[in-house]
Amino acid sequence: MARILLADDSETILLLLRTRLEMEGHEVTTASDGQEVVDLMTSGGEAPDVLLLDAMMPRKSGIDALRELRAAGIETPALIVSAHKEGADAEGDADLAIDGFVTKPIDFDRLFARIGELT
Amino acid sequence: MEDRDSLAPRSSAQAYSGGRFRLSPSLANRLTIGFAIAFALLTGLAMIGVARFLQQRQDFEDATARSYRIEIQARERLARGQQPAAARRQVVAEQRHRQALREEIDDQTRDTALLVGAGLIAGLTGAALLFSGLISSMRRPLEDLVEASERLAGGDLQARVKVGGLSETAQLGSAFNEMAEELQRRAGERDQLERMKDEFVLTASHELRSPLTSVQGFAELLMLEREKLTPKQAETVEIILDNTRHVVRLLNDLLDLARSDAGRLTIAPSPTEVAPLVEEATRTLRAQAERRGQELREEIEAGLPLVNADRDRVRQILVNLLTNANEYCPEGAAIEVKAQQVGAEVEIAVSDNGPGIPSDQLEHIFERFTRGDAGMTQRVGGTGLGLAISKSLVELHGGTIAAESTVGAGSTFRVRLPVAAIADGVEPEAAETEVG
Repeated sequence: MARILLADDSETILLLLRTRLEMEGHEVTTASDGQEVVDLMTSGGEAPDVLLLDAMMPRKSGIDALRELRAAGIETPALIVSAHKEGADAEGDADLAIDGFVTKPIDFDRLFARIGELT
Repeated sequence: MEDRDSLAPRSSAQAYSGGRFRLSPSLANRLTIGFAIAFALLTGLAMIGVARFLQQRQDFEDATARSYRIEIQARERLARGQQPAAARRQVVAEQRHRQALREEIDDQTRDTALLVGAGLIAGLTGAALLFSGLISSMRRPLEDLVEASERLAGGDLQARVKVGGLSETAQLGSAFNEMAEELQRRAGERDQLERMKDEFVLTASHELRSPLTSVQGFAELLMLEREKLTPKQAETVEIILDNTRHVVRLLNDLLDLARSDAGRLTIAPSPTEVAPLVEEATRTLRAQAERRGQELREEIEAGLPLVNADRDRVRQILVNLLTNANEYCPEGAAIEVKAQQVGAEVEIAVSDNGPGIPSDQLEHIFERFTRGDAGMTQRVGGTGLGLAISKSLVELHGGTIAAESTVGAGSTFRVRLPVAAIADGVEPEAAETEVG
């Protein structure tokens, strides 16, 4: 199935998302903040099919990480996880090319459907 | 007492007018002085006039009497034959003298009348000038006050008047300014409190969401392996899930309410297909309906036009209506969602054959914190906010929401959303009716 790079500063959420995604047959790599995402994506390793980034993380937010990646010409589809729409001010930002917002608590059926559409 | 009363508004009046503030005599003082001057002037003139008139009359009568006496003496001399020629001349002279006196008194009476008349006219003119001065000095500040009051009533809390004029209007002006100042201060405090409340709700909702995501997510994870759980364990997880969903709903409602109050409840509408939205909403409620043995039907008219809608928000409205039907209807009830075109709108109606809503509750059904009767709300986990929020959301879409119900027969909630404007050149006739 898809290779997913998952970033969230909460270990519990990471565990939950990872478990569910792996149960769906996806291959999951995790990061605990935006800087790790940028490092992983620019280190030349195998690129994931989809990014699943928490909007708000310490050190570097998912939005900021995505902005850096887009500036570096990386166009991997990205889904942003946010607590609610207030965290999603970047929605209209065309440069970020965000492919969707996932609000908490997560509706996994919709998330899986969206990942299916993107890969 | 006097000092304290007059000092307070004076100092604040200075503060508000910002410029030179001169305390004018009070209206009462001006009126008293004006009346006193006018009255003294008129009385003085009248007394002088009357005294002169009496004096002149007296003089005239004395002179006339003297003249008659002289004439009588002359006539007696004439009768006695003493110097008849001189006596006759004297009689004629006295008659002429009295004629002159009469003419003189007539002139004097006319002059006195003129004097009194002139006094009257002068007094009246003075009074008129005084009053017109008074009126104009009251009118400007009062007109300003009327204008400022209208602005204040219209919500412009910055409305102030220039303080001045008579001390009464100056006091009125400064009292008005104080009132406006106080209103503005309170409005400012209230706005700040509102902002803090909104901020708090947003933060709280954000902070609660992550742990709730975990609770709900892990409970769902357990339910995915339901076959490995004992029936008791499965039931326990169901309860955890039900309650988590309820807290999430509560949180979402509170958040929407805070957004709505802050004027930040917004929608992002785009041309949207109705059928998938309805299907998605019924799918969300399917499991809950089945658990209560309720029949959940959908009937979607073929070839429905696109509506201009925010997908997430319309789904939220439909889920809210379906959840209400699910929770307020007894086990085994039938719930139906029907979508059809009605004129330039698409109507999505959620009907049930549940207990219905009494008419006194039905009129308030879209107000906040309105719920079914007390016995019902014990069992049903609603927040009393869902329909109020749904109404706000439907109205943001330019649509309408309405409820009808018959006690014992069921309820129907109808949401109507405007059909999306059709792109140029596709269906010109239809586009035209849309614009109209």
